[in-house]
Amino acid sequence: MIPASRGGASALVPRVREILGALGEDAGSDDVLLARIEEAASSAPDGDVAAWIAARLLSRNLKDARFELKERVLELESLYDVGLSIGGQLDLESLCDEILLRSISLTNSRSGALHLFEGGALVLSRGFGGALLSPEDAVRLNVDAEGEINNSARDAPTCGVTLSGCEKCLVVPIQSETRRLGVLAVADKETRDGTIRDFFPADARLLALFANQAATAIETARLHREAVEKERMDRELEVAAAIQREILPREVPDIPGLALAAENRSTRQVGGDYFDFFPLSGDRFAFVVADVSGKGVPAALLVSTLASALHLQIEDARTPAELVERVHRHLFRFSRARKFVTLFFGLFHVRTGELQYVSAGHNPALIARAGGDLEWLHATGRPVGIFEDSRWSEARTMLEAGDRLCVYTDGITEAQNPMQEEFGTERLAAYFSRVADLPIRDAAARLFGEILLFAGSAAQYDDQTLLLLARRDLRTDEPAQSL
Amino acid sequence: MNESCRVETVRDGDLAVVRTEGYINREGGEEIERCIQTLLEGGVSRIVLNLEKTKIVNSIGISILIEVLERMMERKGALAFCRLTPTIDKTFRIMGLAQYAGIHATEEEARSALSAIA
Repeated sequence: MIPASRGGASALVPRVREILGALGEDAGSDDVLLARIEEAASSAPDGDVAAWIAARLLSRNLKDARFELKERVLELESLYDVGLSIGGQLDLESLCDEILLRSISLTNSRSGALHLFEGGALVLSRGFGGALLSPEDAVRLNVDAEGEINNSARDAPTCGVTLSGCEKCLVVPIQSETRRLGVLAVADKETRDGTIRDFFPADARLLALFANQAATAIETARLHREAVEKERMDRELEVAAAIQREILPREVPDIPGLALAAENRSTRQVGGDYFDFFPLSGDRFAFVVADVSGKGVPAALLVSTLASALHLQIEDARTPAELVERVHRHLFRFSRARKFVTLFFGLFHVRTGELQYVSAGHNPALIARAGGDLEWLHATGRPVGIFEDSRWSEARTMLEAGDRLCVYTDGITEAQNPMQEEFGTERLAAYFSRVADLPIRDAAARLFGEILLFAGSAAQYDDQTLLLLARRDLRTDEPAQSL
Repeated sequence: MNESCRVETVRDGDLAVVRTEGYINREGGEEIERCIQTLLEGGVSRIVLNLEKTKIVNSIGISILIEVLERMMERKGALAFCRLTPTIDKTFRIMGLAQYAGIHATEEEARSALSAIA
């Protein structure tokens, strides 16, 4: 119970103000307290009210201090909780929501926004409380303050930034170690009496901590996305490799009068390399080496389509050019994505040594003559599958005993070393000049060793396929080899 | 996100359910305070404050809720919270509101708890 003054309630007010002044309190700002004291004092017995007022003020101050202490605990707990959330969930949108709401709440702001860079532009990612920090504002801040947004709240208890849609605003960058990721903004710090006040340096520090957490969340989410994408790619490559394994021939056919070798090496990105053999009637033997555009499953499926088309059409086509045209029409009709194929199709007459071929935009094949000369068989038309009305001409050459034909895909000549130099056609030609005396199976295998040596530590991204064909003579006469 | 706080009241004898939607800041807190004051003056002594649609609360809003709680305690009334987000639940516990008002998972549980108070 409050002790009342002898003068009654009206006489109490000056005395209360006097005591409050002595205690360093602004009585004018505490009309509610004064009113309560007057109300209570009006019915109280005589006595000195000073001790009571002091006790009430002390109690109120202790209550305020406890409240502020709890607010600091809440801030620490919030930072801790957001840290746990970053570790526990990878949903970036939820994390950004959580960070933004906690930022607004703990700075007693009315509104806030979290802007992130997307494709080079700063766009609103999450917003709360109406229009704050338009993209134009955000861009302006970003341009004006390269690396650090000019926010005077860091230096003094005032906020120097005023933006559209708010009275006072506090903005901090969201920054990873290497780049600016976005900005975190809060606006209009409110008070109990309804006014808007300046942000404190402590608000800026707290917001910067949340911005750091946002940066961590964004980077973590990005790494997670990349890991998921890599996993998806790995799975896709496994599927593509499985398709490719099913399509490529497992054995080199045993053709009297011919020596054959063929190899395919898959690299990090399984591509669309394809080779095949087609033993035909009348001492004829056909083969193909092809490279379809693209990588992974789509490329593997196109290889599958190509292989089917070749096997279906080869018996009916009268010439290699007609076969390639038929295959082209088939691919053009069924390949919606307008993928294309380069291919070298050869029809070899075993008895005469004549080679008829069509090269649809394919790398020039190489003939290493027994006498040491080298000849290139260049393309006789466009790649297959691009232009509907494409036509291909056919070329002929002769292979004598000991001559070798080398057909390959660009994964071989475009294999790169760490200096980004390509293996190239010159090294390929020089290699075949050097290995003229080797059985072609060994010549094929050692070429891949040569490429590995050349490439060193550089990763290769394109499949490498090689097909070697020679008319049998005493040096190259060997049985068919299993792949 | 919706920012301004809206309040809806359902009265059942001397018990009322107050459902909020939006930010409990100064404005939102005062809206709740006005609503509860009206209920108290109308004879309600037990109030369930359902915060299912409130995702954010600041310390000014909390201080107003504490004042409301104190006023209810002075009048021998009781208040219970329900449907708090985990963040608000933790905030209320840290800031001391849970010392004066029960926190319940559902509105039914909160009503039962208040109904059990003589």
